[in-house]
Amino acid sequence: MTERIRRRRLAGAGGVVRRRLLVAVPVLVATSAGMFALGAASPIDPAQQYAGAAAFTTSEENLAQIRANWGVDDPLPVQYARWVGNLLRGDLGWSTSRHEPVVDVLAARAGWTLLLVGAALAVVLVASLLLGTLAAYRRGGWFDRGLRASAYAVQSVPVFWLGLAAIAVFALSLGWLPAGGLTDITATGTDPADVARHLILPVGVLALSQVPWFVLFIRDSVADSLRDDHVLAARARGLPGRTVLFGHALRTGLLPFITLIGTHLPEIVGGAVLVETVFSLPGLGAVTVQAALGSDFPLLAATTLATTVVVLTANLATDLAYAAADPRVRLE
Amino acid sequence: MPRPPRLGLAVSAAVLLALTACSAPTANPGTGNGPLVVATAGEPDTLNPVLNYGVDGGSLIFDGLVARDERNQLVPALAEELPSVSPDGQTVTARLRPDVLFHDGTPLTAQDVVFTYRAVLDEKVDSTLRSDLDMLASVDAPDEATVVFTLRYAYAPFLQRLTLGIVPAGALAGQDINKAPFNRQPIGTGPYRVASWTPGDRLVLAANDRYWAGRPANNGVVVAFVPDDNVRAQRTRAGEFDAAELPPKLATGFDAQPGYRVHRAPTADYRGVMLPMGNPVTGDVAVRRALHAAVDRAAMVDGVLGGAGEPAYGPVPPSSEFADPAVAGTPTADPATATATLDAAGWRPGPDGIRVKDGTRAAFSLMYPAADSLRKELALAVTADAKKIGIAITPEGLTWDAITPRMKSDALIMGYGTPYDPDFVSYKLFHSDFAGQGFFNPGSYASQVTDRALRDGRAEADPARRRAAYATFQQQLATDVPWVFLTYLEHTYVLRDSVDGVVARVEPHEHDVANSIWWNIHTWTRRS
Amino acid sequence: MSAAVLARVRRLPRPRPGRVGATVAGTVLAAAVLACLFAPVLWPLDQSAVDLSQTRLAPSLLHPAGTDDLGRDVAHRSLYGLRVSLLVGVVAALVAAVIGGAVGALAGTLGGVVDRVLMRLVDTIAALPHLLLGIFIVAMLRPSLGAVVLSIGLTHWLSTARIVRSELLSLRHRPFIDAAVSGGAGRLRVLTRHLLPHVLPRLALAITLMIPHAVWHETALSFLGLGLPPHLASLGNMINDGRASLLTGAWWASLTPGLALIVVTLALATLTARWRDRLDPRVRAELQL
Repeated sequence: MTERIRRRRLAGAGGVVRRRLLVAVPVLVATSAGMFALGAASPIDPAQQYAGAAAFTTSEENLAQIRANWGVDDPLPVQYARWVGNLLRGDLGWSTSRHEPVVDVLAARAGWTLLLVGAALAVVLVASLLLGTLAAYRRGGWFDRGLRASAYAVQSVPVFWLGLAAIAVFALSLGWLPAGGLTDITATGTDPADVARHLILPVGVLALSQVPWFVLFIRDSVADSLRDDHVLAARARGLPGRTVLFGHALRTGLLPFITLIGTHLPEIVGGAVLVETVFSLPGLGAVTVQAALGSDFPLLAATTLATTVVVLTANLATDLAYAAADPRVRLE
Repeated sequence: MPRPPRLGLAVSAAVLLALTACSAPTANPGTGNGPLVVATAGEPDTLNPVLNYGVDGGSLIFDGLVARDERNQLVPALAEELPSVSPDGQTVTARLRPDVLFHDGTPLTAQDVVFTYRAVLDEKVDSTLRSDLDMLASVDAPDEATVVFTLRYAYAPFLQRLTLGIVPAGALAGQDINKAPFNRQPIGTGPYRVASWTPGDRLVLAANDRYWAGRPANNGVVVAFVPDDNVRAQRTRAGEFDAAELPPKLATGFDAQPGYRVHRAPTADYRGVMLPMGNPVTGDVAVRRALHAAVDRAAMVDGVLGGAGEPAYGPVPPSSEFADPAVAGTPTADPATATATLDAAGWRPGPDGIRVKDGTRAAFSLMYPAADSLRKELALAVTADAKKIGIAITPEGLTWDAITPRMKSDALIMGYGTPYDPDFVSYKLFHSDFAGQGFFNPGSYASQVTDRALRDGRAEADPARRRAAYATFQQQLATDVPWVFLTYLEHTYVLRDSVDGVVARVEPHEHDVANSIWWNIHTWTRRS
Repeated sequence: MSAAVLARVRRLPRPRPGRVGATVAGTVLAAAVLACLFAPVLWPLDQSAVDLSQTRLAPSLLHPAGTDDLGRDVAHRSLYGLRVSLLVGVVAALVAAVIGGAVGALAGTLGGVVDRVLMRLVDTIAALPHLLLGIFIVAMLRPSLGAVVLSIGLTHWLSTARIVRSELLSLRHRPFIDAAVSGGAGRLRVLTRHLLPHVLPRLALAITLMIPHAVWHETALSFLGLGLPPHLASLGNMINDGRASLLTGAWWASLTPGLALIVVTLALATLTARWRDRLDPRVRAELQL
């Protein structure tokens, strides 16, 4: 690739980033304002959330004092301005349900969610590429039929049900794998082997719940590209089947797959929330559910916003990757 | 155990290294010298006693001036002997035990005690304890080893309030206690020091070698926080815990499991229906008495609690010396009495079977916190029993913040109870001074007889007179029925057979790291 | 292997769910819908009734799916759970269709800047995790039937907006529209008389495809304790309640509601699969199928 072309493409990438940001920033502002309005409109008393069970033995004046210490009785715009100002300075607020800074909650947990989602995504990619390509190659055969049927079936099973079934079989009946948690309970640190063993079931369940959709897509996509002219030409030239399949058909089918991951990421994140809850993993999803149950607005807003930012970034990354992989794609 | 795939391991390891700043080696779990592992649903919000951690003792990390033994009797702890009370009951003096060290090596002085109690009283500190220490006017340290509490009024059970854990003044002075790092990494004088706390996961405690009462019999304790009952049961079954609290139904399977035993701890933890005076139906004492007679407490104990409990008829548990046996009722439903009461009061069955009086249908809402499945089941059981006598209850599962504004006019399944003194909790729940104040007496129950009995009970120093006052209180409650008390729970624990030294004592409603069956875990050992 | 291979590859049919499968799915779905519709007449349920003397009975002739922890008939409650879940699914899908239809119609008929801005918005919102947004909405509105419906409606309208818009755009320059416009028909009249009839089938498809998603969303929220009040029979609540029973041996408490959910959503998916396969891939990608 010549220097000139590369520079032009990099400039194109810069443009994409700029345009994406141009949309993402107003969206984030709108989302945050909407969330804050919803939070403010909701008749939830943070002082009582703070007191928790102890609110039973906490007097009304005592609660009022806690409220005053927090400034939750200020007018709404003042509160919103303070909230956004704090957000921009990196102060995400104080979690009323966990009694620690929201930043600390995110810092302690985001990594595990990323690991779970990342590992599941890797498994999904490998499995769906392999299975989907095989099914496409032997289209209409028993493998293809079986795969499609089970893909439709698995698609209908809610991920939390899959998780419960996996625990019932692999943890309780067979005793092969731990039923939950991130490490053995007496572990003093996070030993990679220990964590890996604890993640097999959650990652497997999350991956299994997402695989069908990708498998079906790959299968159709590869099947279509097997009929593409250049693939047919390759076959006609007498290239071996494997070369045609993996060298030509798969590569053509792979491209739309990249953007697909981006568009499907929200689903995977939603699945992670459920999987973390079922397997009691100390990730962002589980803490979001706890925050929701405890009406912990600062934490809930922060996890939702943070996930939004991550997903938007990941989308941008897949767009760029798509452009990098296929020179024909014009970044717009 | 199958080995994870090599690739997966390598990938995980790489990602892990990238994600976690520190990564320490794993200890060998489950064997003789390893830490004891206990599991609970209740994770404390903070580990700072000033902010309501383990205020009734048994906190593992802290000591109060006094502590409680296995019969919940007060024994000296950081105080050399039980503090002395002046004849007018308004001055309490405590002498400190010498040579007590905090976990960081600094010696305990009277200033630390003064700091702790003043912090609770400080308006800027969001301490939910302050209303419990309402009687405390001031606390001073005339010398390094003496603390003097001055009370606004004589308060008989004041020594019971001195179980509050003492924090080191040096570690907290000048800080915003509400948000101090100390709340997560506390320093106390107790049998264990905090090695690490991963919120949502576990609290790791290491034995305090310099503990003033002698080094703990084990090396440490890991408290696993598993809020989901089912997950906790699964992990107990997988053999992860030496002791775990489980709902009674989930614990039953372990009776048959070799290597485990089930222990049911008696409690003062009751559940009942709060019936507000502000509701036209529940405001009628005839309806309240009818409900009191109509509920089948025995069926609730068997069907909802799996046998782990006993019927409740009042807020003073049968195990308490203040319990008045005269208030006990029949454990099974008594629909005849219930319907007779309603008939006599003019509640006549309407066309749909629901009773009507002066155009008012005998119907009301019964709220329960949606996340609490025990209270949900009790609400449904009460609803079913009420239907049989012609009262239509609509159960409503809500979040706490949706419940609180409606407590003045809608019934609610509530739970509380402490075994330590009948004044605790009950004074605020049933005294008319607290009518309509948040979670205190939300139904605005008011009775001069009850008020006087409660006041006498806290002011009188003589135990016999106190008993008489609380007997009056319990009888008046049984007459007025501001609550229909349903059951006392038994807290159910699954324990590994190889663990020795377990002694259950009567437990309060609030129990998590502190005050559970492992209140004396520093004396537990495990046979290998 | 040149011409022969070419011919063979071209001739291969695109596999679709068989006629038998579709018939079975249709029958199952029809039976489920009828049962749900007539349940209150034929087999009324008191949602708050319990019978503490009949707890955790294994399946028998009297209780074909057993009883749960509070002595309630699991089959009976599964039927009502399915009813609530389907109802929530349909209503939420309609709410989503109204929002999405409005946005899509706006973008598709006005075009230009409005179209670009709206579609950018749709793209960006599509990138947000639905379940998290749904959890946030429910938590702030407090869990209830209405909150669940709103939470689904507000997070699931995007695909409808896209379908309506692209359909309208493709119709814009068809001869009959041009004819109508040159004939002096107003914008609104063109939209309602000429465009809407063409868009409606696609809209109906979008709604149908949405229902299983809405049902899953509802069960997920209920499973997390953020859905309908826990004493009401909904599939998510029942599966959640049944978790404890898995450990105590009463596996039947969560089996029937789980199977009901899987079978009905599978039947819905199978029925729409034929329809869906005829869509062009671009629309399929937009629908995230």
